[in-house]
Amino acid sequence: MSTVQAPLFSATAIAKNFGGVQALRGVDFDVTSGEIHALLGQNGAGKSTLVKILNGVHPAGSYTGTIQLDRRVVSFASPADARSNGVGYVPQEIEVLEQLSVAENVFAGRTGLGDGVLVHQRKLEQRAGEIFADLGIDINPKAYVAALTSAQRHLVMIARALVLKPRVLMLDEPTASLSGTEVDALFSVLRRLKAQGVAMIYITHRLPEVLAICDRATVLRDGQVAVRIAREDFDAEAFIFSMSGQRLQRLFPEHAAPVGAPCALEVRHLTVAGHSGAVHGAKDISLRVAAGEIVGLAGLLGSGRSEILHGIYGRVPAEGEIQVAGQLKSIKSPSDARAAGIALLTEDRKRDGLLFNLPVGANITIGNLAPLSRNGMVRGGLERSSILAAMRALNVKASSPQASVTHLSGGNQQKLLFARVLMRAPKVLLLDEPTKGVDAATRHEIYRLVVELAGKGVALLIVASELEELIGLCDRCLVVADGRIVDEFGRGQGGEDRVLRSVTAAQAERHALAAQASS
Amino acid sequence: MNSAAEVSSPPRDARSFRRRLIGFIAVGEVGVLAAMALLIAFFWLIEPAFLSERNIRAILNVVSFVGIIAIGQTILLVAGEFDLSVGSVAGLSAVVAAKLMTAAALPVTTGILGGIGVGALIGLLNGLIVVRLGIPAFIQTLGMLFIGQGLIQVVTGGYPVYPLPEAINTIGGTDLAFGLGWSFAFFIIAAIAADFVLRRTVLGRNLYATGGNKEVAHLVGIDTNAYKIGAFIVVGALSAIAGMFVMADLGSGGTSIGSGWELTVIAGVVVGGVSLFGGAGTVAGGVVGILMLKVVQSGLVVIGVNSNWQQIAVGVIMVMAVGLDIMRRRYFIAGA
Repeated sequence: MSTVQAPLFSATAIAKNFGGVQALRGVDFDVTSGEIHALLGQNGAGKSTLVKILNGVHPAGSYTGTIQLDRRVVSFASPADARSNGVGYVPQEIEVLEQLSVAENVFAGRTGLGDGVLVHQRKLEQRAGEIFADLGIDINPKAYVAALTSAQRHLVMIARALVLKPRVLMLDEPTASLSGTEVDALFSVLRRLKAQGVAMIYITHRLPEVLAICDRATVLRDGQVAVRIAREDFDAEAFIFSMSGQRLQRLFPEHAAPVGAPCALEVRHLTVAGHSGAVHGAKDISLRVAAGEIVGLAGLLGSGRSEILHGIYGRVPAEGEIQVAGQLKSIKSPSDARAAGIALLTEDRKRDGLLFNLPVGANITIGNLAPLSRNGMVRGGLERSSILAAMRALNVKASSPQASVTHLSGGNQQKLLFARVLMRAPKVLLLDEPTKGVDAATRHEIYRLVVELAGKGVALLIVASELEELIGLCDRCLVVADGRIVDEFGRGQGGEDRVLRSVTAAQAERHALAAQASS
Repeated sequence: MNSAAEVSSPPRDARSFRRRLIGFIAVGEVGVLAAMALLIAFFWLIEPAFLSERNIRAILNVVSFVGIIAIGQTILLVAGEFDLSVGSVAGLSAVVAAKLMTAAALPVTTGILGGIGVGALIGLLNGLIVVRLGIPAFIQTLGMLFIGQGLIQVVTGGYPVYPLPEAINTIGGTDLAFGLGWSFAFFIIAAIAADFVLRRTVLGRNLYATGGNKEVAHLVGIDTNAYKIGAFIVVGALSAIAGMFVMADLGSGGTSIGSGWELTVIAGVVVGGVSLFGGAGTVAGGVVGILMLKVVQSGLVVIGVNSNWQQIAVGVIMVMAVGLDIMRRRYFIAGA
């Protein structure tokens, strides 16, 4: 199809090294007008380095190779330079100004609209409205960004990148914080841009999205192009194979729910308050997880899934009864939960996972120092040896326990956090999006780890946005909608469609009730 | 997970020397120490009297007072908060102790404990208000700075408390070694103890976690509120002790004790690599930073620079020190 067309934007023989480490070794990459080209690869494969070169973060001169836009050699000195040349970039992290309106965010940095120092509020809103209408997005330009959901914020960021009418748009993991229906909304925006002839580079870890929307895919491995696949040859197994360099026989390791195992976690009538309107709390939740059982909480973003975990862990005030191994526990704080044998792996590594001021080793042992100390003094040798043992056990790749956590890849950061929560050998492990922003190979390591832990009798309760993952991994799934459990099914009794149907049915029922109440 | 069998020390390979060298340079205090050595050499070349016994003694004496507070301020900064009221607290504690000993005619020990009690109480109050009511430390402790100054006037009526019991003059006048007295001895012992606590103990590690990211620390079971309030109390008590040492040194409960110290202390520990954003820095660094500031101030006096320029120098050095620290972090820590 579009491969016959001359490329709009191309990079040839790009090489870059960081202090002796060869990050890219002669990569060729191109994208044609109206094409969505997926850029895949594990963390550390060179994806972000390539993107940073293409969008001017690494300025011309710091790498070798040439970049051509419309058959003209270009070199970008900065991201602003790239933007003004028609190359836009939407970063993975949501960077919005919460106190400003949607329109002001869309035009951030150019609120004068190019003609002077004054802000033309009305014109701004009108122009933002035009961009949204063009994309089929339903967001009021006058609304304050603080009131938007994270999916809407992402759309605002895309709109911001589109202000200068880029011909090339790079999207870095645009769906990382979106749930199923929101991804669909994003895809329809991308399809419109495609129809308008925008060339898009789509960076992602999620293979189903590549299969759904991309026209071509390039897989990077160790700074080189491992394979380039056209749409007609797309195949999930092939992607995983080329990314990891080894064929992963099956996506999810085998696990059977234990029969007759004692109940490890029992929650009765757990109620957690919601917050800021967009997120539901948990309403009268009752659930049981047996020792060695893997239970999933399926539901949309904001359905109250995470709040259930937070309520059990004492992170937020909650009412209800929590029993661990048949004993009633009063959990008012995370430290109560830890004492009861419950551990939580949080969703957002940067915000509430890692301590960036401490090195790798101290990040693993923080909160676990009691057995590694005597009379309040940390025993250096013992700490170091248990850190090294934990890093080996979980395959955390860092140069030393003294290394900074900032430069670890997402996968290694996640394994480090696993090492932290596992150090106390918890009886109940709560995992909130354990594979978010993690490369495919680490993802499989995490799946294997989860199954291994279950085999050792740990009760696992998992929240994940990717339904395929949740259903493949869990012995039993509980479907959460509007803060309630609306459906439950065991392994093999349902798939993604069942979850979506249950959620939709629950929402319809709620609307009907609301309509009844108002009439 | 805890393989207790592996208690043996890590293997020392050939690379370890290089690594240790980089590690050594990456230690925050080394940069400041090197800068200080250069400055000392500079002042000494211009005016050899800079390294006279009398001048060294004078510098160390001043450093001991401010340094005691710097120890507390470093701990508090590591825990992610800071205190602008330290100077006021030092002054208020001193005059309260003096009044207890004179007007109330209580024993000297009671007076001293009373002074420390005032400091600790104000620290507790600062901590509770910051932690429980969520008022920013900047506002709360700035408010406390004014309240403390006002209370000093209320307690003394504006006149220095004088004369003080003989025991106080003895504390101030004792020469332990090299003309340095109890304040210096206390300062050194407290600094070593505090440095050890931050470096080697669970309590210290938990303070770094609290200052690095309060939410993460809370999630791993650390009572962050208790740590923060505790750090505020330590700062208050140490400020009180410093204030009373000055009082003993002067032989009078002066109303201007501690005035202006808050900024000197913060500037000093920041020069020593303690982060204003929490979670980074050491007591050794903070103390060396204070020492360097005082070396510069004294050096400029000795070589005869106008006092207005001294203030300018302090400002420039603070900004430069932080700038150098940021560059050092980028190069050695990020690059290693």
